[in-house]
Amino acid sequence: MVSIINSVDTGHEDMIHDAEVDYYGLRLATCSSDNSVKVYDIKNGASTLLDDLKGHFGPVWQIAWSHPKFGNLLASCSYDRKVIIWKETNRKWGKYYEYSNHDSSVNSVQFAPAELGLILACGSSDGSISILAYTAETNSWDSKKIQGAHAIGCNSISWAPATTPLFSGNENEQQPLVKRLVSGGCDNLVKIWREDGDMWIEETKLEVHSDWVRDVAWAPSVGLHRHTIASCSQDRRVVIWTSENCINWNSTILHLFEDVVWSVSWSLNGNILAVSGGDNKITLWSQNTEDSWHCISDVSKGQGHINN
Amino acid sequence: MGNNDHYVALECKDLQASAMSIDFTGNYVLLAGRRCIAVKNLQDKSTNVLKVQRQSKYEVGVAEWNPTAYNKHMCVISSNERIELLHWRNESLTVSHSLRAHTRVVTDINWHRTNPHVLATCSTDTFIHMWDIRDSRRPILSLSAVAEASQVRWNRISEHTIASAHEGDIKIWDDRYQSLPVQYVAAHVGKIYGLDWNPYLENQIASCSHDSTVKFFDSRNPRKPDFVLNTNAAVWRARYTPFGNGLVTVVVPQIRRGENNLLLWNISNKAAPMHTFEGHKDVVLEFAWRPSKANSKHLELITWSKDQRLLVWKISPLLQKMCGHEPEIISNFDERNLVMEGHICKKAARFQPLQQEFSLLNVHIPNLEIKNMNVNSRIVNVTAKVNSFTVNLQVNFPSDYPYGTPPDFQISTGSILDAIVESKLLQTLVHLAQQRVSKNRTCLEPCLRQMVSTLEQLSKDRDNVKLYKRLYGEQGSPMTSYNDAYIPFPRTSGAKFCSVNTLVCFGRPIITRRIGSKSESVGTPRDLSALEGILAKRSTDQMTVSAYYFQKQKQKSRSKHALARASKAIVHIYDGSNLFLINRQLAEEYILEGDVATICKHNAAAAAVVGRGDLVQAWTLTELVLAQKQIDKDGLWASHPCGDYLIESLIQHYALQSDLQMAAMLCCIYRKGQQISLQESQKSAQSPMFSGSPYHTIPPADIVQDGWGFPAIAKHIRSTSLDNLKMEESVIKPKLPKIPYVALYEYYKIAYAETLHRWRFLYNSAEVMKYMAIPVQIQKGIEFLPDCDRCHKITRHSLCDKCKRFPFHCVICNMAVKGLANACIVCGHGGHTKHLQEWFAIMNECPKCGCNCLLETADLLNLT
Repeated sequence: MVSIINSVDTGHEDMIHDAEVDYYGLRLATCSSDNSVKVYDIKNGASTLLDDLKGHFGPVWQIAWSHPKFGNLLASCSYDRKVIIWKETNRKWGKYYEYSNHDSSVNSVQFAPAELGLILACGSSDGSISILAYTAETNSWDSKKIQGAHAIGCNSISWAPATTPLFSGNENEQQPLVKRLVSGGCDNLVKIWREDGDMWIEETKLEVHSDWVRDVAWAPSVGLHRHTIASCSQDRRVVIWTSENCINWNSTILHLFEDVVWSVSWSLNGNILAVSGGDNKITLWSQNTEDSWHCISDVSKGQGHINN
Repeated sequence: MGNNDHYVALECKDLQASAMSIDFTGNYVLLAGRRCIAVKNLQDKSTNVLKVQRQSKYEVGVAEWNPTAYNKHMCVISSNERIELLHWRNESLTVSHSLRAHTRVVTDINWHRTNPHVLATCSTDTFIHMWDIRDSRRPILSLSAVAEASQVRWNRISEHTIASAHEGDIKIWDDRYQSLPVQYVAAHVGKIYGLDWNPYLENQIASCSHDSTVKFFDSRNPRKPDFVLNTNAAVWRARYTPFGNGLVTVVVPQIRRGENNLLLWNISNKAAPMHTFEGHKDVVLEFAWRPSKANSKHLELITWSKDQRLLVWKISPLLQKMCGHEPEIISNFDERNLVMEGHICKKAARFQPLQQEFSLLNVHIPNLEIKNMNVNSRIVNVTAKVNSFTVNLQVNFPSDYPYGTPPDFQISTGSILDAIVESKLLQTLVHLAQQRVSKNRTCLEPCLRQMVSTLEQLSKDRDNVKLYKRLYGEQGSPMTSYNDAYIPFPRTSGAKFCSVNTLVCFGRPIITRRIGSKSESVGTPRDLSALEGILAKRSTDQMTVSAYYFQKQKQKSRSKHALARASKAIVHIYDGSNLFLINRQLAEEYILEGDVATICKHNAAAAAVVGRGDLVQAWTLTELVLAQKQIDKDGLWASHPCGDYLIESLIQHYALQSDLQMAAMLCCIYRKGQQISLQESQKSAQSPMFSGSPYHTIPPADIVQDGWGFPAIAKHIRSTSLDNLKMEESVIKPKLPKIPYVALYEYYKIAYAETLHRWRFLYNSAEVMKYMAIPVQIQKGIEFLPDCDRCHKITRHSLCDKCKRFPFHCVICNMAVKGLANACIVCGHGGHTKHLQEWFAIMNECPKCGCNCLLETADLLNLT
């Protein structure tokens, strides 16, 4: 069903915690417990190390690529409480911006949809979410913080797609894009945040999980007047949340897995969900015409191999 | 020692309090009963007392203030099976939240001695729960003891040790090994009423019991007690004194023998108590030591009795000495630093050097404040605040200072720093002082400056290197491990969809096995602290996530270790094309240029090449529908089931199948068809019939064509043809539900264009975007908007909305500008881009006003 096109031995000295390919699918970035971030060229099946980014003093948990219209930017977050944005200029990577205003490990970073501008959200174990926005005029980063977003800690954040309100209502006037975030944390909650003026307000609080929420992912919405969010938790469940208006959400339990679930990821069209967890297995899920979810792949243990 | 050794701090008949506790500062006493909670300020000698009513049918079992400076405003009380957290702020008491996990009555509560957030509770339900009060949902740790628990006490020195009493037995636990107690002590034959750890000796615990004995055990070797204290009655409480080796006991209140006294013992003399505190008229319910103020020679014991009186007893230095307290040895115990101050030689003649030093001291040291400088008592108090550290330092100058005798440094109450920093700091100070006084030189100022710089250095270290080492390094302080308890356990496998159809996967190699996977029931841990806990059991120097999965002991010859290292970090990249209907080859092959029939034929052929028969059919069908539409002059075809409906249902079908490619392509071709037929019908005479057609949901072709600006759809157009308005309204109404579909088509096109962009088919992407009804990107930056010369209204379009005139004319050819235009930001003159290009290729000045357009504009935009 899926075919392997490349295997990159990253040479990290410790476990990898995240890997992501850029917008065009030409470069791979990985981060690890060995405190480093590595960037590889994977064009045409190559696996050439472009740079080894050292700047964190602790394990690096997550990385995120920006939209290429802002240049080649890569954000990384770490146990050392820092978020670093790296930038490539003339084939050399360097520190572009460092944000160290969190009091505990930063667990999640993600760039906002490009339509909203160059904005980065970060979720930390100190319970807060930071939103860093770049202003081109002043060439500066401006930070806003949602304090106490999740009691104990925020484990994951994900941006809502920006296209949704574009064509709704009065077509004469383009409505300003709504900035929305979903976050998951140690209080077992999934929360939805919306920017209102220059404040971020909690729009909804979703409560189904019975243990820490480890990852959340807002599905790219292709025109459907429906929002979909996937969340996964230490309670071994993956929950699919759907809503017509971002206020009332319905939950469906996708599956109860054998071990804790660590990550959920939507395909570009939002029709396939990749799930992975503590049992080292990766499964792909899709929704059939009757709106029920089923597994379309199974994975042998280890190596992340996917069987049909 | 007469009766004047105590005074009544409070007498309040209606309190009926069953529990009492004194706060960190020693100022406030909390008394809690079934009906109300009262707080008494001991410094306030009047009878004032703050009372808060309780709405509960249960008695308060236990009350305890948090013993740390950080959370000194917190107090906890137990009420049946619940634990309530109270906040004492601004002289008012509020219930902050309650902790529920016990299923039976809570019998005891004890705060962690150093970690301000940790609380242990025990209950007759046999469980001992440990809570982090910031997470009230559930305990962070639960110890199951089988037998019901009556007491729980944290060790005063070791931060991981905790003792619990179960009937006549004591269990000693380590909070890192939760499954079983580390020691089991069959202590008494009768029920144990009270437990207390020795404040100085880490492993000594005292237990008092119904069997009239107080036993002292060594927790490392508890087979038999180190020694036993025999009393003549069941002992309700036995607690160490915060000085010497004293012990205070109270007999069981239930047995009414008229014994309302407290007994003070010196442990080394087991024969008889040293002192009896007589004064209460009824049984003593609770007693506590008041954390003393520095410089006070008297210690104070606070007692609460059933006679509803709160008594404060002064413990004179004599009494302290009788309990083995030697004031010369100034010791820091219990982190509260009860400062003993019994020994100051007052030799008046030798004040001079100190007085001189004090007067010469430069008090302007950054981050440091001198609170008190007393030549007579030979004491200096300073407070240093460096980043997260706050240090209250007391310096005592012995009489023969500075002649070979260094001053004594003490870190006193209210300081915020950990034990490691504290010992490092003191070490540095003592060393420096010793160096100076050995040459008979004064040392106060150098020491104070050294303190500030040491603190700065330590806080820097702490922020950087220590932070990193702390993660997987040696056992951290309790704070570290508790922090890690809130950081999720690292992911070691994952899958992410990236770019268009790439799936990036990483995982652990097959040879890895989780530690403890033999007992498979245990799932992957939740947080990082688990790593520390599990790895602590193994003597491995490699405390990382990989050490958790790679079992070191099973290194089978060969270079297996090297193998494990190499395969630790492989990322697999999968091509997920087959998962999706969207096809890269088709994306490249598909065209949108030319007439509808050619496009459809070409695209059908392309679909046939990649073996998508269904797409061939769809393209052929579309071709037929649109061809019919072009020759259809009366607009009837549009509402025919094989007309627009067919295309719309095709789009819907592919969209539902998540074949975004086909849906978007059909949207584009559909729109193209609409545009063409609209042009056609506009060329022919406009008939009222036309307005009845659904074409009106799209903008008229002339505006779309001009490329100057895209107007919005639907409503807008209706207003442009006022004469048709009525008719339109009546016919269009049933078709209104169509409008959201139009919006939906826009999404398909945007999404598909983005996919093409990711594939770097930039031309194809732009082709698709041509069919957008509304521009996606909001114009940012400088915009040039002409205003109509008749109505003076600014217009965004080439045509004035109101006057239907072209507002903008080219400065070169003097014709109205509909298409691509340029203008000078400074003088506002401009026109057709082509004309201006030709002009400025040879000229510098504006053709109309002589403005230096190019330079001025560049200057304004900061392009130079």
